[in-house]
Amino acid sequence: MSNDQLRLHFSNASIGFETESPLLKDINLTINSGEIVGLIGRSGIGKTTLLRTAAGLLSPLSGSVECCCDLTMNAKRGSIALIPQRLGLIQHQSVGYNVLMGALPGANYLQTVLSLPSREMQEATKDAIRAVGLSDKIFESVNQLSGGQQRRVAIARAMVQNPRLILADECLGELDAETAKEIIELLRSLAKEKDIAIFIVDHNPLRARTFCDRLLQLRGNSLIEFDNLNERHSLPQAGDR
Amino acid sequence: MSNRIVDFYHFLKNRPIIRSGIYLTLLVILTIRHLEINVADFSRASTNLTILMNEAFPPDFSVITDRAAWSKPQCTFEADWACSPAIIGITQTLEIALLSTIFGMVISLPLAAMAATNLSPPWLAQITRQILSALRVLPSLIWALIFVILVGLGPFAGVLAMTMYTVGYLGKLQYEALEGVSREPLEVARAMGLPRWQIARFFAIPEASNALISQMLFMFEYNVRHGSVIGLVGAGGIGYYMNYYLSPFQQYDRVLALIIVMYVVVVIIDQVSLRIRRKFIDSTDQIQRPRWREVIFTRKN
Repeated sequence: MSNDQLRLHFSNASIGFETESPLLKDINLTINSGEIVGLIGRSGIGKTTLLRTAAGLLSPLSGSVECCCDLTMNAKRGSIALIPQRLGLIQHQSVGYNVLMGALPGANYLQTVLSLPSREMQEATKDAIRAVGLSDKIFESVNQLSGGQQRRVAIARAMVQNPRLILADECLGELDAETAKEIIELLRSLAKEKDIAIFIVDHNPLRARTFCDRLLQLRGNSLIEFDNLNERHSLPQAGDR
Repeated sequence: MSNRIVDFYHFLKNRPIIRSGIYLTLLVILTIRHLEINVADFSRASTNLTILMNEAFPPDFSVITDRAAWSKPQCTFEADWACSPAIIGITQTLEIALLSTIFGMVISLPLAAMAATNLSPPWLAQITRQILSALRVLPSLIWALIFVILVGLGPFAGVLAMTMYTVGYLGKLQYEALEGVSREPLEVARAMGLPRWQIARFFAIPEASNALISQMLFMFEYNVRHGSVIGLVGAGGIGYYMNYYLSPFQQYDRVLALIIVMYVVVVIIDQVSLRIRRKFIDSTDQIQRPRWREVIFTRKN
C-alpha cells in the first residue's frame, strides 16, 4: 500500500492521561483510504480517548500517531473530521450555519474575517444538506431537530469539510434501525465515492459488522484486530474486559 | 466560680451553633467599637428625617415641565418640557448607558475570548484576566472622577467611565460564559485544525450567544442605574441635575421628583430587559432555546 493511501497510523502508541498507567498500550493500527474501520469495546475502556488521540486532541503517551504521514497534531488543515458522541453542533445556530462550518478549513483569511463564504462554499453546503435529506430544514435551529436529523447535520458538516479521515464516536447511538441504516449508507457512499477513511466507534458489534470493512476490539488495554470478519467467535461477549 | 466556667466550657463544647453565634456577636461588637459607631446618633435621625420630609414633600415636578437653566450639549428644542432637567437628564443617562454598553461589549468580547482558558493559552488567559481585574478595581464613580479631570464635565466623561467599568465587569461575565460552553464543538473545530481566533469566533461565541446577550442586557440595566451616580461628579446624566439641586440650593422637592422619574424609567427598563432575558435563560437543557433574532422579529403563526 503506497503512502498516499495511508490515512491513520498508530505505531506502538500508549494512550491515556498518565504515563505510569496508560489506558491503552502498544497500539498498532493502520487505516487506508476508502476503508471503514469499526471499533467496539466496553464502556469506559478508552474508545473515545483513542479517537481523541487520533484526532490530535490528545498526545500519545509514547509512540506516534500519524494522519496522512504527518503527526495528527500537525495534520493538514481540514484533513481530519471529528463527529463526537454528542455531535458537537452549535445549538443556537441553524442547520445551514452548522454545515457551513465544515467549509472553514478551506476558507481564506479575508473570507473568515468578513464572514463571507464563497459561492463554492455555499453550493457545497447546500449539496451536503441535500445529500442528507435536510433541504427543508436549512434555516431551522439544530436544537429543534430530532436526534437522527442532528446526526445527519454532523455528517453533512464532515462532508463539506471534504476530509481524508472521518472519526465518528458512536454516531449511530440511540437511533432506530431505519435511521441508522440511512446514516450507514451515507457513510458508505462517502468512503467509496470520495475515498475517505472512516474510523467509527459503535457499541453494537452486530451492526458494526454489517457495514465495516474491518472491526477492531478494545480488550483490557490492548487493541485486537480481526483481519477476517468471519472469525465471529472472537466478537466480544458480555463480561469481556 | 471556676466550676461554673468549666461547666459553661463543656456546655459550649458540645454546641457548635451557639459557640459560633457567640464568636460572631463578639466580632460585631468589636467592629462597632472600632468604627466608633454611636447608637445615640440614631436619636437625631428622626428629627432630621422630619426636616427632610418637610423639604422634599410634595415633590416639585416643575423639573419635567420647566426649561433647564443649563445643559451640555445645548438643548435646542422649542418645547420647554423637552429641555427640562428630568428629560435631558434621563435621556443623557440612557444614552450614556447605551453607548457604554455597546462600546464595552465590543472591547470586552475579544478580551473575554483571550481570558477564557478553553480558548487561549494559559499565559494569555492569566494576563487578560489581570487586566480585567484591574479595570474592576475602581468603581464607576472613581472612573467618572478620573475622566472628568481628563476630558472635562459632561456626558463624554460619563461614557468613557462607564465603558471602562463595563469592559471589566462584562469581560468577567463573558469569559465565564465562554468557559461554560460544551467541549465538543470546540474539539470538532480543533480537529479541523482551525486557529484559536476562528474557534472563538465561529464556535464558542455562537454557542454562548444566549448567555452573552442576556449579560449585555443586564449590563445595560446596570449602566442605567449607575449612570445616575456618575452624574454626581459631573459626568452627565440625571445625577448631574440631582447634584445641581442638592449642593448649592438644597431643593429636596426637585431632587425627589428627579428620583421618582428615574425610578419609573429604571422599573420600565428592568421589566422589558427581564422579559427578554428570560427567553435566553434555560431552566433545563430540554427547553428549546430561541435564537436572538426570533426575540426581536417575532414570527407570526
